[in-house]
Amino acid sequence: MSYAYLFKYIIIGDTGVGKSCLLLQFTDKRFQPVHDLTIGVEFGARMITIDGKQIKLQIWDTAGQEAFRSITRSYYRGAAGALLVYDITRRETFNHLTTWLEDARQHSNSNMVIMLIGNKSDLDSRREVRREEGEAFAREHGLVFMETSAKTAANVEEAFINTAKEIYEKIQEGVFDINNEANGIKIGPQHSPTSPGGLAGNGGQGGAQGGGCC
Amino acid sequence: MFRSRSWFGGGLWKPKNPHSLEHLKYLYNVLSKNHTVSENNRGLLVETLRSIAEILIWGDQNDSSVFDFFLEKNMLSFFLRIMKQKCGSYVCVQLLQTLNILFENIRNETSLYYLLSNNHVNSIIVHKFDFSDEEVMAYYISFLKTLSLKLNAHTIHFFYNEVNEHTNDFPLYTEAIKFFKHSEGMVRIAVRTLTLNVYRVEDASMLGFIRDRTAAPYFSNLVWFIGNHIIELDTCVRNDADHQSQNRLSDLVAEHLDHLHYLNDILCLDIPDLNKVLTEHLLHKLLVPLYVYSLMKQKNVLCQNQDEKKHVSVVVALFLLSQVFLILSHGPLVRTLAAIILKSDLDIIRDGASKVLEEYAEISSNKAIAFAPPKESLEKSLENLSESQADLKESCEGQSQNDELPVNTLTKKQRERGMNEPGTSFDTTILDAPPENLSNPDQLEITIPNETVEEMKHLNVTDEEKEQRLALESPLAPQQLPNDPIQESLTNKPFLQTILNSLYCNENDYTALFGLCLLYALASNKSVNAEMLDLVLSPSQQVPTKNWYNETLVDRLIHIITLSCQTNAKVRLVTLELTIKLLTRLVMSEGRSLLHDTHLASIEAAKEQSTALLRNFYKSEDIFLDMFEDEYSEIQKRPLNVEWLMMDSNILLPPTGTPMTGIEFSKRLPCGEVERARRAIRVFFLIRRLSLTLNMEVETQLPLTNPATCIEVNNVLDLSKSYLLSSCLTGFIWGAKERRATRIYDGKYNSDLIACTVVWKDGQKIRRFLVIDVLQLILVEPDTKKLGWGVAKLVGFLQDIEVAGDKDDSRCLHLTIHKPLSSSASNRVPLLSAKFIFDDHIRCMAAKQRLTKGRIKARQKKMSQIARLLDIPTSMPHCSTPPNYAFMSMRPERATGRGHKKDQPRPMFTVNKVPGFAAQLRQDGVVRSSSGSTTPNGRRSDGSPNGRARENGLRSRDNSPKMPRPRSEEIPMEDMRLRKASLAANGSGLPSIVCSDRKDSTVSGTSSNGELALAIKKRSEETSFTSPQVQDLKPRRKGQVETV
Ligand SMILES: Nc1nc2c(ncn2[C@@H]2O[C@H](COP(=O)(O)OP(=O)(O)OP(=O)(O)O)[C@@H](O)[C@H]2O)c(=O)[nH]1
Ligand SMILES: [Mg+2]
Repeated sequence: MSYAYLFKYIIIGDTGVGKSCLLLQFTDKRFQPVHDLTIGVEFGARMITIDGKQIKLQIWDTAGQEAFRSITRSYYRGAAGALLVYDITRRETFNHLTTWLEDARQHSNSNMVIMLIGNKSDLDSRREVRREEGEAFAREHGLVFMETSAKTAANVEEAFINTAKEIYEKIQEGVFDINNEANGIKIGPQHSPTSPGGLAGNGGQGGAQGGGCC
Repeated sequence: MFRSRSWFGGGLWKPKNPHSLEHLKYLYNVLSKNHTVSENNRGLLVETLRSIAEILIWGDQNDSSVFDFFLEKNMLSFFLRIMKQKCGSYVCVQLLQTLNILFENIRNETSLYYLLSNNHVNSIIVHKFDFSDEEVMAYYISFLKTLSLKLNAHTIHFFYNEVNEHTNDFPLYTEAIKFFKHSEGMVRIAVRTLTLNVYRVEDASMLGFIRDRTAAPYFSNLVWFIGNHIIELDTCVRNDADHQSQNRLSDLVAEHLDHLHYLNDILCLDIPDLNKVLTEHLLHKLLVPLYVYSLMKQKNVLCQNQDEKKHVSVVVALFLLSQVFLILSHGPLVRTLAAIILKSDLDIIRDGASKVLEEYAEISSNKAIAFAPPKESLEKSLENLSESQADLKESCEGQSQNDELPVNTLTKKQRERGMNEPGTSFDTTILDAPPENLSNPDQLEITIPNETVEEMKHLNVTDEEKEQRLALESPLAPQQLPNDPIQESLTNKPFLQTILNSLYCNENDYTALFGLCLLYALASNKSVNAEMLDLVLSPSQQVPTKNWYNETLVDRLIHIITLSCQTNAKVRLVTLELTIKLLTRLVMSEGRSLLHDTHLASIEAAKEQSTALLRNFYKSEDIFLDMFEDEYSEIQKRPLNVEWLMMDSNILLPPTGTPMTGIEFSKRLPCGEVERARRAIRVFFLIRRLSLTLNMEVETQLPLTNPATCIEVNNVLDLSKSYLLSSCLTGFIWGAKERRATRIYDGKYNSDLIACTVVWKDGQKIRRFLVIDVLQLILVEPDTKKLGWGVAKLVGFLQDIEVAGDKDDSRCLHLTIHKPLSSSASNRVPLLSAKFIFDDHIRCMAAKQRLTKGRIKARQKKMSQIARLLDIPTSMPHCSTPPNYAFMSMRPERATGRGHKKDQPRPMFTVNKVPGFAAQLRQDGVVRSSSGSTTPNGRRSDGSPNGRARENGLRSRDNSPKMPRPRSEEIPMEDMRLRKASLAANGSGLPSIVCSDRKDSTVSGTSSNGELALAIKKRSEETSFTSPQVQDLKPRRKGQVETV
């Protein structure tokens, strides 16, 4: 399926916070948790629509590669958006946010949109990090914040889509150099780089048409 | 969620429980009945495969019979069968994702074995998907990566097939590396991840396969790929003098760093066989021919044909080599490379490029030294892999012989072989013939450009400085001791020569920065051993040369330092800092400086010069203090990190002065007066610190605020020792027994204590005591448990406060405490911005006066500290001087307010000795009510006739008819402010500091009058104002200023 833009995301955060589960929940809703089984995956793509435009989100999970410095640094650079995830039932995952953020800021391009996610909001009884703390951290570091549950799917859509909206806005503002694919943004095949957004058809199949340019 | 598809199921009974063996059986039947994929059933098939994955994951943790059935029915073969039907990307993608989900969520080893048995997974891996579809590509490579994360000593055997020598293969690895240079970055990253995951599986047989069959093709292609990247980078630098393609350049630099980190990650896995092959490829095909040879001025020594010449500019070569030494740590590689750079002399190089490596390599090989394309593409090599067994033998031969023979006996043999090897490269063959146009080595001799020496002679400096300068010149002069073997040998080492020559900053410091970086990187690389550096870089540890240091190098470093102290110097701050860093490293040994007196004298001269330079700004910049402290903390907080510096592609472009490029201040030249001042401040700090280090002294005067003497939040204070400016402490029953004006804190002077209610913006109200100390303002909460004690709840520096009266309520003050600029908080939210309500108007005015005064005094104190640092005479008590100061004592509040302060230095006002110097005293009037943010209005009003308000304020404030008129050489403060505003307008760097004067006349007027009132009363008793005066002061409104 063709798209107007492709945004590459990465998901970062301590192990076990639910990155892979969030990813699968977003890209493949059919995998519902049954028998207390939340399943995950480390790559996924999904099409969304923003402003009438088809936008493909490609999400790359970095898990398991922390051992290799070369890998983490290049991952950061290739992404337009990042979900920084912690687990609201484990304070240490919240405490490590600063380190993650430093890493992200150091390696990523400065326009990368970072969204802070407090995951496992379904486990409110075991909560160790208050919502306000997440909010405060996000405010202090200029991030967007949201609490999600990969299990109940609460806010999962919103988390990914809001991030995309923010990236989209930055593109409209001309902040991103969209001709540079290293930024994690790709223009759809039928798009001419000089007129971003200009060719997208309207409604349903949006990006798919527009080829028959005048 | 699992919608019924019974019309497709063809009458199959569908079990209710989706997670059960029965359901799996049902799905099996669905698959069996739908062998052929069609438009009609592909949705069903995809859904079925997903359900199977889900049941398997469930079974993995709940019911092992599920896997038994799966294996028994060979269900994975369905996946394969569907895939092979050219069913389009939609189905392929879904299949791959299902496999991903399956493999990622299986936890039992046995379940995993079940899935991997029958070799189906390998068949899927080698399946020729439509990789031109980016989605298929992404899911495919993710699948391979996921599998690689499952590799361990057991599972490796499912992927690496060693049973039969002829079929031995490892599709997971060989298929993946085919994409090592895929255009999509994420794919390349996945490939790298996979290779690393493979290498770290400790399986000798598999690693043997990797080394023998794939290492050479993979690494040679990788190295060629990296090299081409470098050439592109170099082109980018050459063609971009005007900073147009910063983005592209930054990508290329980041990409190069990724490569180096990847290589380092491989090397750090410490797999000897693999490292050997990789090191060899890197040295022979990339680092030496492309990076090091580019340092050669006479490129024709290395190759004749201009067209074939592959090299990069010296700047890029130095930059890249710095990165290499900062990142790579594999001993044999970095040691060899360092030896080549530092030791190769012309003879060796002239003898033929291949000799260079023979001479120094710890690992020898028969590889030619050339940056040349691999013989064939990686795909081709890998295809041939499975076909020809003979090839294998051949390619392993050299390797195995090397393994057995000691390196030195190999050298000759290899040399022959290297020469005989049929034309793999243009370089070797050409090089072995003696080059005709090799220039006289004498031309390479180290010479000091004459201009520089001349320049230094004519510097406009004092006699004393001149003397020191002359001392500096001598070591810089070209004539070296003729019998110094080290100096002599330098002339014959072209690579080292280039590095050292790069350190001249004739026009600018463009190449110097990279030369410094490389030297620094060499010196800091842990794997480069000391002996190698001994005669070049480090203080020698060997007895005969102990305490020796490389004078030539140190001369040049000192020369850079000297240059940076000049007005309009073309040396960037980052270059100076790095020079100092390197110098310290070279001459400090066991905490002691080895520097000879002449060199030391040059440093001291530079220090003098930098001080002199800064003095010029001291007198002209009103915002000097803020800047001074800001720069100091900047330097402390962000010491130069060379590794980070080398990540910044911006420095690859010629130095620029314009901030429009977005280049950090320290990495460009200053632009405008404000930035020149900032630069002078930093140069001063850097050289001062160097001088202290060399003299083994500790800094005692910086920072201006000694944090150790500051009160911090939560400190417990003895309030009984403070001066209580509150008669009614109802509600606060804490031992304010006597009003003793003593000390609040050891080593501190007495502070006043005023009760008040603090009202935050959000309406929150808290009762506190306001304590005004020498440098700080403290909000104290009385300790309920301990009478007479209180806890500091908020602490701010007086110098950063902004006080304003309230036009509606005379008991109120609006107080803003700005965060020091140096605090680096990302948001410039003030530390505190609140309304203070006092018990009555009098206390309010008293508080205001104290705050305003406190601010001035705090600033004055610091200004005089700076004056002392810069050797500007001040009005310290010990100096018997100028009549100017006489009037200080006229100021009533000084004379009376704290009468007991006899032992304390008198208020130190900066002297107006320097022509054009603005008297600090008069600055009082301005500063007291100014600070914080600015509005264009505010600034305009400052200069406009409405400034009458200030005049009034000024005059009335001191209540001193005897206050002298400005002396002719003093620039009236108003002019200063105007000037500052204009500076602010064109100097872009410092908007928040520059424009720190917001004033409205009300404030100034009120404050002045209030203070006047206070000042008068203060003589008798501070807390006993009478009401008439209070009323007098009350009805002031904006714009109405009364002259007292
Ligand atoms: N209750 C609840 N559990 C969750 C949620 N998200 C994830 N989990 C569980 O948390 C565990 C870890 O989830 P993963 O998605 O594998 O975590 P990860 O961040 O990918 O971890 P790594 O891959 O090791 O870095 C799993 O057992 C999930 O079932 C959630 O929103 N709620
Ligand atoms: Mg995960």
